[in-house]
Amino acid sequence: MPVAMMQPAAREDAQLVEEALGGNPLSFQLLIERYQERVFALARRYTKSAVEIEDIAQDTFLKAFRRLASFQRQSTFSTWLYRIAVNTALDFLKRVGRSPVRAVEDPELTAEPQRALAGSGIAISAPDATLRREEVARVTQEVLDELPEIFRTVLVLRELEELSYQEMAEVLGISIGTVESRLFRARARFKEAMLRLHPEFAHGD
Amino acid sequence: MKITCEDARSLVPGYLDAQLSEAQASPLRAHLLDCSACRESAKEGRALQRWFEPLREQSVTVPEGFAARVARRALAGDPGLLVPVEAPAMAGRRSHIGFLLVACSVAAAVLFVLALVIQRQNLPATNGLEAQNRPPWLVSGETPPSAEHEIVIQAPEASPASGANARNAPRSEPRR
Repeated sequence: MPVAMMQPAAREDAQLVEEALGGNPLSFQLLIERYQERVFALARRYTKSAVEIEDIAQDTFLKAFRRLASFQRQSTFSTWLYRIAVNTALDFLKRVGRSPVRAVEDPELTAEPQRALAGSGIAISAPDATLRREEVARVTQEVLDELPEIFRTVLVLRELEELSYQEMAEVLGISIGTVESRLFRARARFKEAMLRLHPEFAHGD
Repeated sequence: MKITCEDARSLVPGYLDAQLSEAQASPLRAHLLDCSACRESAKEGRALQRWFEPLREQSVTVPEGFAARVARRALAGDPGLLVPVEAPAMAGRRSHIGFLLVACSVAAAVLFVLALVIQRQNLPATNGLEAQNRPPWLVSGETPPSAEHEIVIQAPEASPASGANARNAPRSEPRR
């Protein structure tokens, strides 16, 4: 991406990357400070342990430093870092035996997305105003944890990290069309899991 | 421009995610005003999104001094805790060892085959070569009659029973 077309934050990132590659130790520290909260936030979607969250975050930045020279300007530094963070989190899950389920391993996941919703006529109601926000967050996290990794990741990137479809495609290494269809299925699965775990939030016709 | 319900349903997720261009969003908005079924579908999608809002707003705590500590470790060449057990440098060394093992095996096989060939060439082609068959001049230490010796070497097929001839016989001749 030409420097002139970059957003100010992306230009600053690119500058810090250049300085870090040039041997300036403070520049890489500044890059970490800019993104540490987002990487921690992403890591905590995959584990509840504070120690494990820190390990994933730390390894994300150490990997990023080792690969800094290979950082291409076609994507922003944040997208590039997100990709490393997601892969580090998934590697971590495999390492500790909480191996993520892939679509190819689960025939149910490859079925038509409409199947999950077909004929149900039941929707999820919006969170009730009487529910405390902490309670809504707890329920949502509980339902997210029920989902296969492939669906949890797209929901985390879209709903929690608010990445655009284009950014998600870059992070996951898939096309925008695949992002859309995976997100559609993920929402259907989220709805299914929510209705199964918390039928009280069903909103019938 | 009017769109169908089918078009509208496929556009709703992108609309809720604010991923549509104005050229796509404008006819969808017009359709949603007219079509209660599609409007309901959009409302359901929005309701689902609202479940994520409190989770999104949760603050995250980064340990004090994390950035400085990790930057120091990165600059010191720390590969991290979660890297594969087999580091790339080790993997390179392993592949060299593997290559050496294969090369040694091939060399050993070639030497073995070579040794077999050499051994076959040196072996007598018949069991007829016995000590007692040695010519008398060799046993007594006398000077061999040169003419007889010449004949044996130059015309081996002429006297196949001779021990000296047997030594020069073709190797394809079956052993006894």
